Amino acid sequence: MKRRLFWKLCTTITVGTILLFWIIHHLILQTEQHMSFIDQKYQQQLIDYASHAEKLYLQGDEEKLAEWIKTLQQQENTWVALIRSKLTPMAGSEMDDYFVENFALGRDVSWKIHLYFAQNPIMDITFADGHTHFLIRLPQRMRPGGYWTYTSLLLQIALPMLLLAILSVVIYRHVMSPLRQLEKATKQFSDGDYQVRVRDDLGKRNDEIAALASTFDSMAERIGAQIQTQRNLTSDLSHELRTPLTRVELALSIAEQSHPGDESLQRIRQECQQMRDLVEDALTLAWLENERPALRNESLDLTDLIDSIVENARFEFPKHVITVQTPETAYLHQSSDRALGHAIENILRNALSHTPTQGTVSLSLQQYPDRFDLHIDDQGPGVPKEHLQNIFKPFFRLHTPNSIVHKGFGVGLALARRQVEATGGKLWAQPHEQGGLTMIMQLPLITKN
Amino acid sequence: MPDKNKAPISILIIEDDLILNHQLKQLLEKQSFIVTQCFNGDQGLQNAVSNHYDLILLDVSLPKRDGYSVLNTLRQSQQTPVIILTAHGAEEERIMGFKNGADDYLPKPFNFTELVLRIEAILRRARAAIPQQVVDSVLQYEGLMLDRQKQQVFFQEHPVQLTPIQFKLLWTLMLHANHLLSKPQLYRLVMERDFSRYDRSLDMHMSRVRRKLTDVGMPVDRLQTVHGTGYILL
Repeated sequence: MKRRLFWKLCTTITVGTILLFWIIHHLILQTEQHMSFIDQKYQQQLIDYASHAEKLYLQGDEEKLAEWIKTLQQQENTWVALIRSKLTPMAGSEMDDYFVENFALGRDVSWKIHLYFAQNPIMDITFADGHTHFLIRLPQRMRPGGYWTYTSLLLQIALPMLLLAILSVVIYRHVMSPLRQLEKATKQFSDGDYQVRVRDDLGKRNDEIAALASTFDSMAERIGAQIQTQRNLTSDLSHELRTPLTRVELALSIAEQSHPGDESLQRIRQECQQMRDLVEDALTLAWLENERPALRNESLDLTDLIDSIVENARFEFPKHVITVQTPETAYLHQSSDRALGHAIENILRNALSHTPTQGTVSLSLQQYPDRFDLHIDDQGPGVPKEHLQNIFKPFFRLHTPNSIVHKGFGVGLALARRQVEATGGKLWAQPHEQGGLTMIMQLPLITKN
Repeated sequence: MPDKNKAPISILIIEDDLILNHQLKQLLEKQSFIVTQCFNGDQGLQNAVSNHYDLILLDVSLPKRDGYSVLNTLRQSQQTPVIILTAHGAEEERIMGFKNGADDYLPKPFNFTELVLRIEAILRRARAAIPQQVVDSVLQYEGLMLDRQKQQVFFQEHPVQLTPIQFKLLWTLMLHANHLLSKPQLYRLVMERDFSRYDRSLDMHMSRVRRKLTDVGMPVDRLQTVHGTGYILL
């Protein structure tokens, strides 16, 4: 069935509302009727009054009867009378027996009272002779339905409110619980769990929301597969390059033995090194992305780490100036010296290769109570604001307006960011005031217990 | 490099890539090693068990029988040193603990210098394992004085505070003063484990030792880094 949820909601609300109105109407009627009768106790009291009057009447003591009626009137604060009726048919018409037997001047005590009449009705208890009537306006204290106003308010407002609130809760839960599951799944998916699926958790449900869940699942399936394929491609490609690269390097060693000091061979050696780094980085990145390991089981001294990296970099880039500002010691616990070392190495190499020769790259490490901040400033061409995030994507290339292609970023920065994150830190880029780029690595400090 | 006076060192290469295998043979023979080649796991295992070799270079992905299977079967009868050549990522390799009883592993791509450094480190250890030379408890060299019993270091009468591992590192460099020690060697001697790519612990200790020594006036260039190879104390 199409639009199942619509029909479900439509049916629930329509049927529910009609049922609600009907129940309320019925309840009100029932309650009103129930509350319209004179209390049994008062009925008996009125009958007792009448029989007392009848007794006095039969004794023929009219004076005493008058006295009693007067007292009763005062006592109940109402009107009381004793009246004799005489029915005379006219114009040749006849009396009906039922009418004669049931004739009364007021209401019987067992009858209902109209609660909507403000004035109290006159009650009639006919004596045994059939034509002497004891009449009394119902005393106020005996009037039934004292709580009727409150009861009707309760029935007409509070009850529908409560029932509708319950209905809303039911509908809300019915709609929201799958949406919440969907939200949770979406969050998990965006956190990198590409295996997450929702449809099966919704059980037999088969409506628009279930359809949405199915759509989500097929999307997750497709995107997950795409991401996996892309990662596998990177990883497979790097993998396939390993053996040929080893062959090239060994061939190079053989060639170097017969032509020591050949410049072209040195050049090839350098390029091989770069390709190796690229392959290694791409594989490590694919591994980090797939496994998402937490690299946090080593302690290290950042000052020593930076010193050793800078020493290598000075050797690798002898024509650049590298300035370093670090505290005497900078202990960091629950981290990884390999991951951070590799990351800093890649960032520094990137900074150096974008800085012209004789230019300066500066590193400064600041300690704060809760973290270390490492700033690496270069004197390169910098990166436009809109691309500051993109340089952390693998193989991102920056095109300047006059369409000169800058040196690519490879996977170095993408890998560095993943590595820093795997140790619990953050890495981002911002423009440097004097042009160039500043890389900021923030490493939270965990006190060793 | 192997000593000409001693018996030549024999190496078995088990590697299915023909070109790579021949290249390794050619390069190792130039270094005066005696090289035997195998191209699949079965043949390699047979050869390794029935002959004596000083060292085996073992590829992981082999036809007929993979490298780990070869290694496991070999270990049941022989303790020949084995260097595994793998195509896995260095960091992945280390964390997943693929070593599985190998004496060392070298992720591809590698270059010949790296390979030779590791071969030397392993052979040196295999030899040193038998005669443990008696060592002095005090070493003195060009203004540096190390007392092993008291774990004390002085440079021209200035005391230097070192951690035990830093002391061990400096002690090892002093023992081999004026000799280049490769990183794989230093890792085995000082850290008592294998060197893997991106491992910086030794470099970090070295930076700290150098910093402490230069603080009391030792010239920076006495503790030298030989890039791509190792360290030397002059």
